[in-house]
Amino acid sequence: MNSVAGEKQADRSFFRIWKQVRTNRYLYLMLIPVVGYFLIFNYKPMYGAIIAFKDFNPYAGINGSDWVGLKHFRQFFESFYFGRLLRNTILLSVYSLAVIFPASIILALLLNEVRNKWFKSVVQTLSYLPYFISLIVICGMIVNFSGPDGMVSKLLVSLGVIDAPVDFLSLSSWYRTIHVGSSLWQYVGWNSIIYLAALSGISPSLYEAAVMDGANRWRQLIHITLPGIKNTIVILLILNIGSLMDSNWEKILLLYSPSTYETADVISTYVYRRGVQEANYSFSAAIGLFNSIINFSLLVAANFWSRRLTSNSLW
Amino acid sequence: MNLKIRRTFKCVSTVVVAAMVPAFLLGACSGSSGNAIGTSSTSPTSADASVSKPTELSLWIPLTADFKGKNYNEKPSFQKMEKETNVHINFEHVSDADVENLFNLLMASGDLPDMIYYYNWDAQATKYGNSGALLPLEDLIREKAPNLERVLNENPEIRGQITSPEGHIYYIPNMALDSTLLVQMFPQVRQDWLDKLGLEAPKTTDDWYTVLKAFREKDANGNGKADESPFVSIGLDSGMNGASGAAGLFAPAFGIEFGFFVEDGKVKYGPYDPRFKDLMAFMHKLDAENLLDTSPKDFAALREKVLSGQAGAWFGWAGSYMGTFTALMKEKDAATSFEVSPVLPPVGPNGDQRHTSHRWPASSFGIAVSSKTDKPEEIIKWLDYQFSEEGVILNNFGVEGEGYTMQDGKPVYTDKIVKPADGSPPSVAILSQTIGGGAWPTITNVDGALQMNAANGQATSPTAQFASYIDLKKKLPPLQFTKEETDIIAPIMADLSSFIKEASTNFVNGQLPLDNFDKYLKNVEKMKLSVVLEQYQKAYDRFIQQ
Repeated sequence: MNSVAGEKQADRSFFRIWKQVRTNRYLYLMLIPVVGYFLIFNYKPMYGAIIAFKDFNPYAGINGSDWVGLKHFRQFFESFYFGRLLRNTILLSVYSLAVIFPASIILALLLNEVRNKWFKSVVQTLSYLPYFISLIVICGMIVNFSGPDGMVSKLLVSLGVIDAPVDFLSLSSWYRTIHVGSSLWQYVGWNSIIYLAALSGISPSLYEAAVMDGANRWRQLIHITLPGIKNTIVILLILNIGSLMDSNWEKILLLYSPSTYETADVISTYVYRRGVQEANYSFSAAIGLFNSIINFSLLVAANFWSRRLTSNSLW
Repeated sequence: MNLKIRRTFKCVSTVVVAAMVPAFLLGACSGSSGNAIGTSSTSPTSADASVSKPTELSLWIPLTADFKGKNYNEKPSFQKMEKETNVHINFEHVSDADVENLFNLLMASGDLPDMIYYYNWDAQATKYGNSGALLPLEDLIREKAPNLERVLNENPEIRGQITSPEGHIYYIPNMALDSTLLVQMFPQVRQDWLDKLGLEAPKTTDDWYTVLKAFREKDANGNGKADESPFVSIGLDSGMNGASGAAGLFAPAFGIEFGFFVEDGKVKYGPYDPRFKDLMAFMHKLDAENLLDTSPKDFAALREKVLSGQAGAWFGWAGSYMGTFTALMKEKDAATSFEVSPVLPPVGPNGDQRHTSHRWPASSFGIAVSSKTDKPEEIIKWLDYQFSEEGVILNNFGVEGEGYTMQDGKPVYTDKIVKPADGSPPSVAILSQTIGGGAWPTITNVDGALQMNAANGQATSPTAQFASYIDLKKKLPPLQFTKEETDIIAPIMADLSSFIKEASTNFVNGQLPLDNFDKYLKNVEKMKLSVVLEQYQKAYDRFIQQ
């Protein structure tokens, strides 16, 4: 009895789906390229990740290469640099997150309070322009500004802060400051846009009511504005944590040198040097996999805690 | 200023490479499919050369930046060779910059052209031979390459240098059979600066310090600014087992080398040696007083420093450094006082004096053959031609009437090569004719090399000057490692060499005080250098027995 009813139901639901597909067939047709894109460029390459467990030899192919189990992972964990790489990766990302994330919220809140439209749009435009400059040019500018004949050195010398010009980029103690500082300049304006959009969605009547109740600007901010964009903040924080281990590695690659490896070398740049430059593909696949697993776990953890604490999450 | 250029270059080049990856892979694919169509099975003999269609072979080779053309088939020597051998070479050119990455990508693609030209085969051939990418050539040479077989039989040391531990030959190198050719890079100083300041050519490391200091403090270039870079070098330890950088030049004066070397039959590692501390202290002294400039990232950046009148001394080759600089300065200003002198290797505080920069009779430059090629015989015959009498002349001098004329039965470079009308240096002019004797898999002709030195304005041949300072017993030979040895060495050295690079840079620039030297040595120990040295010792002992 039951199974027959189940069959009928399955029949009916299949029919419903099919009917729905037929009526929207052009929409579904448009889906094909998207699905194809993900299958070809995001899912198919995952198969290649198994070289992390093999001694990959391009002449034997992926299938023909010998299995070596966790050899490459062990090699990485036992590596002299493991601790430093992990520390640098996490520190650079955490510093970036800790500085840029709140800074863009604060910028958005400040811009929201500005009543002069002209001034507001000028500030906003100026702050998000750097986002559109290519990373290469940004790095060129950083190199110019922080070099011994750069404007930072010249300024500090003329102010008497330092005696002689300094090549800041060759000092490992300065690397994180330069990296995070320049990222702040590059991204803060752009990141604030999404908060401004969220802010514009808050109903003005809430503010009117608050004013009637005698709330000042600060009170309005605490009780209306922040709760109004709370969901946006939480979602963006989860997404940011999910890419914590990515640490803007292209930028590091362009800015670091052996003298700043101490603070600048991260897992991704190490993968580039060992993997691409020295052609150890299996080894770098293993490190890359390790990196992705950490990223994934961080994302899941952040999502979990966010759901528990704020009843707001990605899924 | 130049620091900016260097860093900007680094930025640009990294991205260019990243952008080139897909383009490069596409290029490699289309190249090989093109060959398949053009295949002809006729084997070349000079008798039916004019009759049959030429065999087509593909060759991957970086395009030298100094070569003015776009394809090596534009060179008269190759056109002549095509007629003689009835083999047409399809060059798969890649840019000279960042060639190491491009090479790694090529080898990883698994889709190889018939032949691959590379600069570093001594270190790579066995690795790729073991992985099945390269064709073992020893049997083919014995059967099909009489010229090559004769050269190898007459020079067993060359055979020893290119034979892997398993007994295979995976690449055909450039060969220098005359010992005077083994001197290559040497210290060079601005003679006109020395004269202007009334100084003598530096003899000891202390002299070097005095001279370099004077260059900077007494405004040697006379522009009123202290902008001189008294000693310039491409990094601290670039190329040739670290020997061609600034630290590489001064290391022998302290009894070591910046890399592996041999002492009393034992393989040692320069950066793990108590004497390394003295070298670092000396380099730090230079750097602290702005006498050392290691900012140039490549030869072009170094040349810029020299041509802009900032550089006082450097370490370089006869032709591509001394000759090129002189020719370009003359072109800029015919009345220039610019003059470069070769200087003997410095004597260190303990009396050590040795010339480090020289090569082995078999160089690391050469051509390897893909294991997948379907024309191994044609390839080996074509390679063999490079070692025939005709081939050697073609590769060293070019085509008669254009590159050389016969005088008293000996080829002599034409004025087109030694005094080019467009004012370019002879070392560049020769590239329009041939790839250049020191780089192509052929035998370098000693007469040609001497003529080039003379054309570069060297009254006394530096080769004669430096030969007696070479101590082959201290130089590590081009060792070939077994797969087991490579598996042990590679992961350790990957981290270790990065550590050495970092530590030495920081010792020199002062970020890492020399008081930490013992700690540094302990770190090197911890990174299992001893295990690496063991493998080197095994390979070295095997080499000596051969």
